[in-house]
Amino acid sequence: MEDGNKTMAENGNTHAKISCKNVSKTFIQKGTQQVHVLDGISLDVAENEFVVILGPGQCGKSTLLRIMAGLETASTGSVIINDKEVDGPGQDRGLVFQSYMLFAWKTVMGNVEMGPKLRGVGKEERRKVAQHYIDMVGLQGFENKYPHQLSGGMKQRAGIARAYANQPQVMLLDEPFGQLDAQTRIYMEQETVRIWEQEKRTVIFVTNNIDEALFLGDRIICMEGKLPGRIREVYDVNLPRPRKFTDLDFLKLRHEITEASELTL
Amino acid sequence: MTSIANETQSAKKERAPITVKAVLTNKWFLYAVSLTFFFGLWDYVAYKKILGSSLARPLEVVNYMGYMINHRLAGNSLWGHAWASTRRILIGFSIASLIAVPLGLMMALNKYVNAIVKPIFDLMKPMPPIAWISISILWFGIGEPSKVFIIIIGTFVPCLLNAYNGVRLVEPELYDVVRVLGGNRRDEIFQVCFPAAFPAIFAGLQISLSVAWTCVLAAELVSARSGLGYVIIKGMNLGRPAMVLGGMVAIALAALMTSQLVGLLEKVLCPWKREIEGL
Repeated sequence: MEDGNKTMAENGNTHAKISCKNVSKTFIQKGTQQVHVLDGISLDVAENEFVVILGPGQCGKSTLLRIMAGLETASTGSVIINDKEVDGPGQDRGLVFQSYMLFAWKTVMGNVEMGPKLRGVGKEERRKVAQHYIDMVGLQGFENKYPHQLSGGMKQRAGIARAYANQPQVMLLDEPFGQLDAQTRIYMEQETVRIWEQEKRTVIFVTNNIDEALFLGDRIICMEGKLPGRIREVYDVNLPRPRKFTDLDFLKLRHEITEASELTL
Repeated sequence: MTSIANETQSAKKERAPITVKAVLTNKWFLYAVSLTFFFGLWDYVAYKKILGSSLARPLEVVNYMGYMINHRLAGNSLWGHAWASTRRILIGFSIASLIAVPLGLMMALNKYVNAIVKPIFDLMKPMPPIAWISISILWFGIGEPSKVFIIIIGTFVPCLLNAYNGVRLVEPELYDVVRVLGGNRRDEIFQVCFPAAFPAIFAGLQISLSVAWTCVLAAELVSARSGLGYVIIKGMNLGRPAMVLGGMVAIALAALMTSQLVGLLEKVLCPWKREIEGL
């Protein structure tokens, strides 16, 4: 249980890949009504670190991710990624959505190659890149299927492959397995670890599931359970991988996090 | 590489044994019962002249249609009349959709276009297209242009509205996807907006088509020397129920064909939708 900066020093990495500095966000609703969604979020993430942001629904965690992605602007404070201040979406960050957001009119291949295509990469080369990531997520053989022909887990595999195919340095995942059934979810979590170990990236993973957080994260950023969103506590997860949901140390940390929050996570 | 076989679903149907219950609840059997009952009732009512002598028996209608195919009415066989109506529809429908669909898309994408076009459109929208028949005859005479004009008026509204709503109802997060992947405004429009609006556009075209048939018949009933509307009004004037009913059947068949044509176009242009419907 240390703050973010100390953790990075322990990792022997003094240079943050992602650095949120006092980020706050206020939405204006119906003209005048102000809603404070985020308040003073400061967070440093090291290169290739797997950070999980854990919190219940409506705690501002998705907004924080959207600010990092450049889809929202912070009301105060700044987000610095790769020494550059975020002022819009960019190819250095990939985003995976909770509701998949695949293009219904494109095949798996068409979806995955979209990033390189928009950047003007030639057809042959982008096909090669897309195929690599389709293979990586285990969707080989489904290249020419349309999204509605896939199960939920396969849709999200395509969503992950699409984000990877744009070759970002930072992967942002917004409750990616929230719509999956429990079995598929655990399976996809294992896959996420496998993919992350295979193609190391800096990952920010947003979830409301405590088991998922413990299974995946190097570090867990636990949010307050109500608005405005603040960081309640940061936990280091020093459990060896592959982790098991029933290991004693796993359960101990799970107990600790649960006890510290008044929420039933 | 791990297998994802446990995520795919396979649906296997077992063939049930043929029993009396299976036959009685069979979909096709019930279709046949339904149609037999309908035609049987029709034939009985016509034969017994329950509704007077103005209802032709089903076979009389079929025979009269055969007669009209072989004998010209006002210079045209039944095929000729069917083609006259269909041609008017294809011309009017094409002109209207080529203008209305792009205009609807532009209205949804640009608030200034919307602000300029919408007031005029809202003013015209509640007017039934058939209300334009008289003025169009005054403007264009009783020839082809007045009929095509009515069809354009009638089909314009559903074409435009559906294109407009199709764009408006696109999931906003899909634009985020394009932006995150590095796309610009142009990519948002061409990669997301238009393809996502395609099914709605085609729904609008199908609605337009049925409106177009209503319009062309109304116009032909008022003034025409050809077309299926002319056939049924002629049948009425001559007091021949078989001719009227034969014309009505021909209208239904022709309308079905044009609708199938648009459906086919949709399948070619939206292959992902074909997969959804399992065709």
